[in-house]
Amino acid sequence: MKNKKSISLLWLATLLISACGSSSAELTVQDAWARPAINGNNGAAYFIIENDTSSEDTLLSVTSDIASAVEVHMSMMDGNGVMSMQMQEAVTVPSGKTLEFKPGGLHVMLIRLNQDLKIGDTISLTLIFEKTGSRTIEVTVKEE
Amino acid sequence: MIKKNQYFVLFIMTAVIGLGVLVEVIFKRPYSFHGTVINPPLPVTDFALQTADDKVFRLSEQKGKIVLLFFGYTSCPDVCPITLATFKQVHERLGNDAQKVRFVMITADPDRDTPEKVTAYVAQFNSEFIGLSGNLSDLESIWKELGVFVEKQDSGSAAGYLVSHTASVFVIDQNGNLLMMLPYGTSAIDMADDLTQLLKQMEKK
Repeated sequence: MKNKKSISLLWLATLLISACGSSSAELTVQDAWARPAINGNNGAAYFIIENDTSSEDTLLSVTSDIASAVEVHMSMMDGNGVMSMQMQEAVTVPSGKTLEFKPGGLHVMLIRLNQDLKIGDTISLTLIFEKTGSRTIEVTVKEE
Repeated sequence: MIKKNQYFVLFIMTAVIGLGVLVEVIFKRPYSFHGTVINPPLPVTDFALQTADDKVFRLSEQKGKIVLLFFGYTSCPDVCPITLATFKQVHERLGNDAQKVRFVMITADPDRDTPEKVTAYVAQFNSEFIGLSGNLSDLESIWKELGVFVEKQDSGSAAGYLVSHTASVFVIDQNGNLLMMLPYGTSAIDMADDLTQLLKQMEKK
């Protein structure tokens, strides 16, 4: 009798977990941070996009009040140790994949900041995706 | 019975000698640098560039110190701050020895970077870091001599043109010779270890 009860509880738990699992099948943006930078200069922000939805999605643009323009760029090094940046029109995240914006790679470029970015500050960025729409994220200013 | 004992002694002796050799190999192995060592070191033509407040930085006046040179531009939001953040960690790791090293960023974008701008940019990381700019022809001769590639790119960015540039760090020894190049991405630990070793070698001389 006791056993039966615990088995049904187990079933219930499994059901609950799987229910949570399906409801969290979404696109998330996590671990957002930005480097300290001076007012008037350019800054960079980084985060991790995880696309758990069943279709690919595309980051179309990023906006923010703290800079006069916001763009997505990719830093790339050639075989001779020369670093370049290339502006990205849009960035696609395939279904089930994670895309990391990180130093020396993909980053959000905050052009002509209208305030200093100091360690411990929090700024907000709005990311606009083709399918899942827009979302505003909190970005912590830190060194690394 | 005696024979067995003799073998045992022989075994112990061999083991002790073997251990000694092993210790020798592990602890006295010559240091292997993470950077690319230029051998023999290449003399660098003296140069003078401007830092903030109309001050002049002259390479020949840094003798006795190791000079770390990095080329970048202040509109650069990603790669240049990465290298300067590494410099900052290297400075911290070196402790008192950091006083024997000059951490220098030379602009790759003299049209937009005044000496004041470069100085303010590097000061975000450490107030002792030196930021330099100057006129194009002075800068070009330094870039050319060290093999630094600099090119403006029209990117369509709201930031205006971007600058492609060599991202390696150049290590100039206490006599003004190019001694080593550290590729972009060298960790602060590796960079600090190489510098500590170079400072040790300097003291021996």
